[in-house]
Amino acid sequence: MSIDRRLTCVEALRRLDDYLDHELPRLDAGRVEAHLRDCEACAKEFGFERSVIDQIRGKLRDVPLPDSLKGRIMTTLEGMA
Amino acid sequence: MDETVDPTLTAEHDRMATAAVASAAERCSDAEFQTLLADAVEPAYRLALRLSGHAQDAEDFVQEAALRAYRFRDSFARGTSFKAWFYRILVNLIYSRARTRRDERSYEDLADARDLYLYARTAEAGIANRDADPLGGTIARMTADEVAAALAALPDDYRTVCTLYFMDDLAYQEIADIVGVPVGTVRSRLHRGRKMLQKRLWQLARDHDIVRSDREARP
Repeated sequence: MSIDRRLTCVEALRRLDDYLDHELPRLDAGRVEAHLRDCEACAKEFGFERSVIDQIRGKLRDVPLPDSLKGRIMTTLEGMA
Repeated sequence: MDETVDPTLTAEHDRMATAAVASAAERCSDAEFQTLLADAVEPAYRLALRLSGHAQDAEDFVQEAALRAYRFRDSFARGTSFKAWFYRILVNLIYSRARTRRDERSYEDLADARDLYLYARTAEAGIANRDADPLGGTIARMTADEVAAALAALPDDYRTVCTLYFMDDLAYQEIADIVGVPVGTVRSRLHRGRKMLQKRLWQLARDHDIVRSDREARP
């Protein structure tokens, strides 16, 4: 495959997960970005998937922390030092 | 927490105790180590809560993992990822306790989860982009517990990788190091797991009346 050849929608979609997770090599990520600039439908799909990930992250990380946990651990470790 | 059976702890203890010790130059001072650990406690608690599903268990797991980490601190090398090193201890601890509980649930209903699952479902339901939210409120209207329940409903191998992914900003290689599988396995489990999670979230949204009908969402 030529480095300069533009990705098809199927090829871009195949790279969706790795692209969103910043796991694509830079050259490949650049080709995805070039495709997304030209393809509104794929740009919408990629944006949607990014929103799904961000919203799931936001919900799952919404955790009340026990006030004393860190203090208890650090006190114990200081006692062991 | 099940305190009665812990068959792998001795093996894990031995593995850690005999792990390569960092060179003197790579080793942290006690103060440096305690600072790294203090910074990791809160994200570790969040991770433990989502993996164990119980707040008290999560506290106990993090506390025990911290003590183990401190005991074996000479095996951590400065300049490597402390979080990955500590999470490996924590995840091993959680699963060593859970290993006696066999996962016998059926996941057949998740087998057909396709690419862009929520994208297709919200478009079909006519709720995409409602209120400027591309998902039309499908996740925004859920509680954190509802989303956590969807994650907990994944098969164990997928759930572990996905939980690490969502709870912290870890690279695939870091997740692979924590779980002890090749990075390609992390990639495939994560990609597949996210599709299954989307399907489970949609099922929950329907069951909990967040998406009331094919054309109507909960206000």
